[in-house]
Amino acid sequence: MTVLETDQLTKQFGGLTAVDEVDLEIEQGEGVSLIGPNGAGKSTFINLVTRRLEPSYGEITFQGNSIIGMDPHEVVQMGMSKSFQTASIFPELTVMENATIAALAAEHGSFRFNFFRHQNSYPAVEEVANNVLESVGLYDERENQADSLDYGNKRRLELGIALAAEPDMLLMDEPTAGMSPDETQSTVKLIKRVKQELDLTFLLVEHDMEIVFDISDRIVVLNRGSVIAKGTPDEVQDDPAVQEAYLGGVEE
Amino acid sequence: MWWRESGVTLLADILTILLNGLQQGAIYVLLAVGLSIILGTLKFVNFAHGALYLVGAYLGLFITGQVPLNNGQLAEWGIQSYGIGLGFIAALVIVPIAVFIIGLLMERFIAQAFYDRPDTDQILVTFGLAIIVQELLRALLGGSSQPFPQPSWASGPIALPVVGNFPRWRLGVIAITAVLVLGVYALVEYTDFGLIVQAGTLDGEMVRLLGIKLSRPYLVVFGIGAALAGVAGVVGGPLANVNPNIGTEQLVPAFLTVVIGGVGKIEGAVVAGLMLGTLQVLLIQTGYAAWSQVGIYALAAIILLVRPQGLLGSEVDVS
Amino acid sequence: MSDEPRDATATAAADADAEVTGGLGDRWASFRDREISTVLLTVVGVAVFPFLFNNFLDGYTQLATLMLIYGIFAVGFDILLGYTGLLSFGHAVFFGGAAYAAGIFSASVSSSPLLVLLAGTVFAVLLAWIVGFLSLRRGGIYFAILTLTFGQMSFYLAASPLAFLTNGENGFTSVDIGSLLGVIDIHGGVPFPLSMLVDNMLYVFVAVMTVLSVAMANRILHSPYGTVFRAIRENERRAEFVGLDVWRYKLMAFIISAAFAGIAGSLFAIEGNYVPLQSLYWTESGRIVIMTVLGGVGSLFGPLFGAGLYLYIENIVSGFPTLGPFWHLILGIVFVVAVVLFPNGIWGGIDYVRNMVVGGDEE
Repeated sequence: MTVLETDQLTKQFGGLTAVDEVDLEIEQGEGVSLIGPNGAGKSTFINLVTRRLEPSYGEITFQGNSIIGMDPHEVVQMGMSKSFQTASIFPELTVMENATIAALAAEHGSFRFNFFRHQNSYPAVEEVANNVLESVGLYDERENQADSLDYGNKRRLELGIALAAEPDMLLMDEPTAGMSPDETQSTVKLIKRVKQELDLTFLLVEHDMEIVFDISDRIVVLNRGSVIAKGTPDEVQDDPAVQEAYLGGVEE
Repeated sequence: MWWRESGVTLLADILTILLNGLQQGAIYVLLAVGLSIILGTLKFVNFAHGALYLVGAYLGLFITGQVPLNNGQLAEWGIQSYGIGLGFIAALVIVPIAVFIIGLLMERFIAQAFYDRPDTDQILVTFGLAIIVQELLRALLGGSSQPFPQPSWASGPIALPVVGNFPRWRLGVIAITAVLVLGVYALVEYTDFGLIVQAGTLDGEMVRLLGIKLSRPYLVVFGIGAALAGVAGVVGGPLANVNPNIGTEQLVPAFLTVVIGGVGKIEGAVVAGLMLGTLQVLLIQTGYAAWSQVGIYALAAIILLVRPQGLLGSEVDVS
Repeated sequence: MSDEPRDATATAAADADAEVTGGLGDRWASFRDREISTVLLTVVGVAVFPFLFNNFLDGYTQLATLMLIYGIFAVGFDILLGYTGLLSFGHAVFFGGAAYAAGIFSASVSSSPLLVLLAGTVFAVLLAWIVGFLSLRRGGIYFAILTLTFGQMSFYLAASPLAFLTNGENGFTSVDIGSLLGVIDIHGGVPFPLSMLVDNMLYVFVAVMTVLSVAMANRILHSPYGTVFRAIRENERRAEFVGLDVWRYKLMAFIISAAFAGIAGSLFAIEGNYVPLQSLYWTESGRIVIMTVLGGVGSLFGPLFGAGLYLYIENIVSGFPTLGPFWHLILGIVFVVAVVLFPNGIWGGIDYVRNMVVGGDEE
């Protein structure tokens, strides 16, 4: 089943075409990586898919439904989740509260009028929050302020938050940016484990080629807004157009 | 011919309203241009801008003439009047310089400390500062209204074609405003300094990465913005009375003018200020005086809702 | 990951700590956290307040009543500012607007204090729905400026065009308050057991409303809304991207804070039998900002304290020799200092000191 499909998706900023008629399909259970040199339009593409930006034209279909015109939170409720480039958490809330927010959105939906019900009367929410923390190994830190975690743990918390709603698809925007090799390794292990256990479909934007070739089922290469190659890691690795884009030509 | 005469009268009325609107708008423009460059370039929300106007008015009064002191702390200490009686021209020269320096100090000691803090903190601290300035003046000089005499060389009516007699000082206000605004505009558009400021407004980080220090230009921008507010106080003073509350009264219209025109755009502030001033005068002269204030706020709300970036602002996400 | 051994020692250390500081510190913390205790604390507070205030602080009951009224206003305002992180400079429109609505209602429809209170509050809520809907489209300073605009617009509306309703610059003088529940004279005296604490039925009425308001605020802050509001303040984008409809929650925060302003405004009209035009001017909005910030943003009791402090300085300190006439100046200086040094207001400063002394973390 196709989880995400974009059709001729385009975004123009004045005279600049950041995303140029991109066609992309992601199947259930696939791990797809989006790579390309700086400025290729990867972040813009992600922002279009998560509905932070309005496309100039083109179609985006998620789970068979068009999501053009929807608000970001609506798309999230449909099952698409995003993990941010920086460890985007709630700094002055406790780790537990961070997980609770994600659990609330997952269990209660985008909005409720329940401002007169005590939060302790929602055991399901608490359970989801606990599960999140345990799955990323942060349960013991739950009473600490999220700000006090080291960067690696903040990243894990962020991933946990993104996964709290058991999304059908996860978008990750450079998840290992700024990480040490150790942290990177454990993040990659986490992603692999999550992919297997939750049958998670993901779209990953990454610069670190080792990670990309390690965890992707398929790779899509962008350059100057257009797709210049698609395929398995091996196919893409040998593609001369890709080599040209990254290295400016291959030394024969 | 009867139709020619009433046509001329209608024309005279329209021109009078326009001229009055220009003058009323001129004050808004002076305040808004200053506030706009501070907000647009420094991204600093200056709720003390009205206080700068207030300081300009009182300082202008001080330099221009002798003001009797009837209440307030200074009066209690036996000081019977204040002022150095140097005349209006002196005030027009000294006040901008003085308030410019105040602006430099404000940028250095307040704005710089708050650039990294959230917007709300900037609003809170400048709001608090405005209260301090206002209350200090009230405590020392008393809260009663002082008249600010118009300069003798510009008081009285002047005969204009079509319109007839028109207060000379109002023309003076328009003229002074035009000169100053054109000067600031030229500074921003045609000098290297202005170029740096414009670039810094669009992408401060990039400018710094290019090796250009922005701290000096930022200081100057704040100083200019403040000086404009100070001049507004001096030229606005003779139009109404001077009392500690006039700063508070001018703050909201100033911000409105800025956002209606488009933050950071001098032309926007000019257009918006003139629009609001003319609308206000129009409502008063056509018998809707009760609606004159409501009118400008309603217009502001409508524009902000329909075109949030302001009339001449660019489609940049300003949230 | 190599966290397991570290975890074990960390937990062991924490346990050891708890055993040492446990006991009194812990018991106080858990007492404080329970809802009933919050309500009880408030009841005790409002009960003894007039006695202490009148006898030890040069106070008088009418001022104590005003302090509670503004306290309610501030508690609600803090839900918007301290918890959700939105600074509105136009909340006078809900306070003054509710006061006018309450006054007009009392003169034209019914004098029953409870109905009057309801009318004012409902008016504030409906108004907030509209103003919030329009103002929340943009964030940051645009929100502050838009609320400021609507506030000023309402001031000038009440001054002239609507003067036939509001009596314009002279303020609304036709407030007509009857007896509470048909029997109790709200401006009268107090029956015996209570009269040891306070001499004025109006204070009792306002005090009851204060307790109810604090209880409501406490419950709201302990509901999912409390966590959502703070999440929005901390990282609005992330809140949106976990799937929360941030805009709607912001609107709710706005409306809830306006409801509290509405209760306060209605009580204000009832208390003074008069509604001044000034209650709609933006400086009134500024006052509540100062009260809330001084008292402590992000805490439940802080704003009450801030309101009390502000009114104390405005009404009692202003009468002191020498320093008296400078009261507003002093307030301004204290406010600026509070903003610069204690972003969490004075209550936050107290918390800070207390944390240093007791050495635990509460919030």
